[in-house]
Amino acid sequence: MFHWKNGTAALLSAALAGGTAAFVMATPLFAQEAVKLELWSRQDPSGPLRAGNVVKAAERLNKELEAEGSPKRVEVVVRESPAKGFDDDALQLLKVFGIGEGPDMFIAAHEWICAFQEDGFALKLDDYIAKYPQHFGTIFPSLWSSAKCPDGTYAIPQDAEARMFFYNKKLLREAGYDDAFIDSMPERTLSGDLTMDELLEIAKQVVEKTNAQYGVLHRPNKGPDYIMAFNAYGNDFVDPETGNLLLERDKLAAAFGWFERGVKAGVIPANNTAMEFDALRKEFYTGNAAFWMYGIWDLGSVAFPTYGLPQEEKAFFEDWGWIAGPAAEKGGSPVSLTHPIVYVIAANTKEPELAVRLLGHASAADLNTDHAVTTTHLGIKPEQLEDPRYAEAWPLARATDLLKITKFLPNNAQFGELNGIIYAGIQGVESGRLSAQEAADFVIDEASASLEDVIVK
Amino acid sequence: MATIADELAIERRGHAASAARRRTNFVIFLGPAIVLTILFFVLPVIIDIAVSFTDLGRSLRITEFTTEQYQKVFRTDRRLTQVIGLTFIYVFGTLAIFNVTFGLILAITTTAIQNVSGSFFRGVWLLPRMSPSVLYILLWLWAVSPTEAGLVNQVLMRAFGLDTPLDLLTTAPIALIIISNGFIGASMGMIIFTAAIRGIPEHLFHAAAVDGAGTFAKIRFITLPALRWPISFVTIYQTLSLLVSFEYILLLTKGGPFYDTTVYALYVYRRAFESGQYGYGAALALFLIVIGIVVALIGWRFFDMERLLQRPRIEVH
Repeated sequence: MFHWKNGTAALLSAALAGGTAAFVMATPLFAQEAVKLELWSRQDPSGPLRAGNVVKAAERLNKELEAEGSPKRVEVVVRESPAKGFDDDALQLLKVFGIGEGPDMFIAAHEWICAFQEDGFALKLDDYIAKYPQHFGTIFPSLWSSAKCPDGTYAIPQDAEARMFFYNKKLLREAGYDDAFIDSMPERTLSGDLTMDELLEIAKQVVEKTNAQYGVLHRPNKGPDYIMAFNAYGNDFVDPETGNLLLERDKLAAAFGWFERGVKAGVIPANNTAMEFDALRKEFYTGNAAFWMYGIWDLGSVAFPTYGLPQEEKAFFEDWGWIAGPAAEKGGSPVSLTHPIVYVIAANTKEPELAVRLLGHASAADLNTDHAVTTTHLGIKPEQLEDPRYAEAWPLARATDLLKITKFLPNNAQFGELNGIIYAGIQGVESGRLSAQEAADFVIDEASASLEDVIVK
Repeated sequence: MATIADELAIERRGHAASAARRRTNFVIFLGPAIVLTILFFVLPVIIDIAVSFTDLGRSLRITEFTTEQYQKVFRTDRRLTQVIGLTFIYVFGTLAIFNVTFGLILAITTTAIQNVSGSFFRGVWLLPRMSPSVLYILLWLWAVSPTEAGLVNQVLMRAFGLDTPLDLLTTAPIALIIISNGFIGASMGMIIFTAAIRGIPEHLFHAAAVDGAGTFAKIRFITLPALRWPISFVTIYQTLSLLVSFEYILLLTKGGPFYDTTVYALYVYRRAFESGQYGYGAALALFLIVIGIVVALIGWRFFDMERLLQRPRIEVH
């Protein structure tokens, strides 16, 4: 039997043994490899969980990695950009990638992804999507089309929403329309019975017969909503055969004509594009305008919290409502527009697999619903519709109807720029500098001069 | 006793030392300025020229060297004619109404009254120049807001009984950018003209008074001739400054409505940084540099600036 000769030796041996044991036990910790994945996200109060859910997803992914016995652990570093909108943000990010300082993942408006794909900055995701059906298998198929470039899928849909014309029922009543007419407007619009010009006529009645100053208001900067009006007049902006941008002079002139008639009728203010965003919202939500062309998320983000519109469904629909973009002519097709925001992975990320799995977890139904219900965005998976929280958020459930007729902006690398030209055309028409026909010519001239491969008909 | 040869040697050493000192002084005093000029003026122009011959786009990549940008400038950009015309109106209007004329009026009136009051009014006119651009323009946006809350509309509607609020941003955007820029630009002329008026010998005014000259005669026959050089300087300097400045316009009207207030410098900015066409922006910017040089040379010649910069001659009274 082994005996310790003295206490000191025993103590030393115990310390040595203890130290070795602690070292051996701690070895797995030392062997853990921290993988930092950088996420570029615009500071956007309308969707803080777009980035927040990715941070949360890291915890889930790390548990999964631990269960697999992998030494890797993911840490998400969010890099926030102060850009005003998604267009500015995309331009800034393209420069960042251009100088080799791009992040591993980024959040973008879907129409920009092909600009990144064209320059080789975005990772092609088709194989990964097929490999992880547990994450991506149930995402609405229609949303995937917003994530595609000509040669494959380059993004993961993060949310969707619906664009519409909100309207103030009190003003319509004051203008002499009865409840039956007012309440039938959404249905009549969906069936193609209510037209864009009738909408102007209703707005005109409101301006003439009530104290309201404005008939129809729209956003005062470049963005997606007014494209809905162009869609109503048949402008799809992309040639289905080649994928190139397509400009059709007559259809453009027809859409500009609607804005022109709106201003001439005193319904759309000539200075709409010079007004401030918040001022426009205030005019509508405080009862000084009949219609407001915008997105469903404005209810949760602005109308309820800032202007105190009733949050309860029945109370809301007593005085407020919305319709899709009406058809151009009787019996035509109504329009709505959804503008998905997407997650994109950088082509040169060192850990593409981990980035895909991370965004897969961020796309989990419960996390996506957190984002959807707190910011009034539409979810990306059918199972979210079963979530009681989603069902409680009635604007989402009601706006989902519009997805049947919804369209996307073209996923063309040059569309952002074309949209700027179209917006300038609207400014020209509304401020009286251009006629509708001149605006169509202006868009075609500018686009032909500054963009490539534009098809003009 | 030193020989002639020794004296010559000493003199030569003296010349050599003085030449060496001159060279050292040149390097010490002008060296930093030359380096800075090359770094911040010459080099950017060279880079601009180089970029203008590329297809540098929004992802900062060059795939080819091309003259395409210049073809765009000369052949396809129909917007340019309007932009150049507007720039002329903006520069000429701001200069003529505010930077020179109003600056002159401010200088003459504030030097004609008591010194304390004069200094106070000049201080007030310097305030916009000292306040941050964004704050200054925010005040303008409030002043010209097309609602009843706007300052101008409050005055017009309450004091003059106007029925509906005016929308100056849409109906008079050019006037607004000229006025908002002019309020700032006038202060520089005011300071320079004030200094020049103070430099006019007092006895000239007394002599004129003895000869029966009134206020306007004194201004016309004494003050204005004495201000010829400052006026020339302010005109040339402010022309060049106005040609390249656009920040107040961007903040106030964003260049709109439509392209109504898009001056050349703002147009370059929009093409390069809002559309991501950096190569094209560089080509346009090069023309701005050329226009600036041409304007400076014309001004130099027209105002005979060479004489201004000559060594002053001794005045004989």
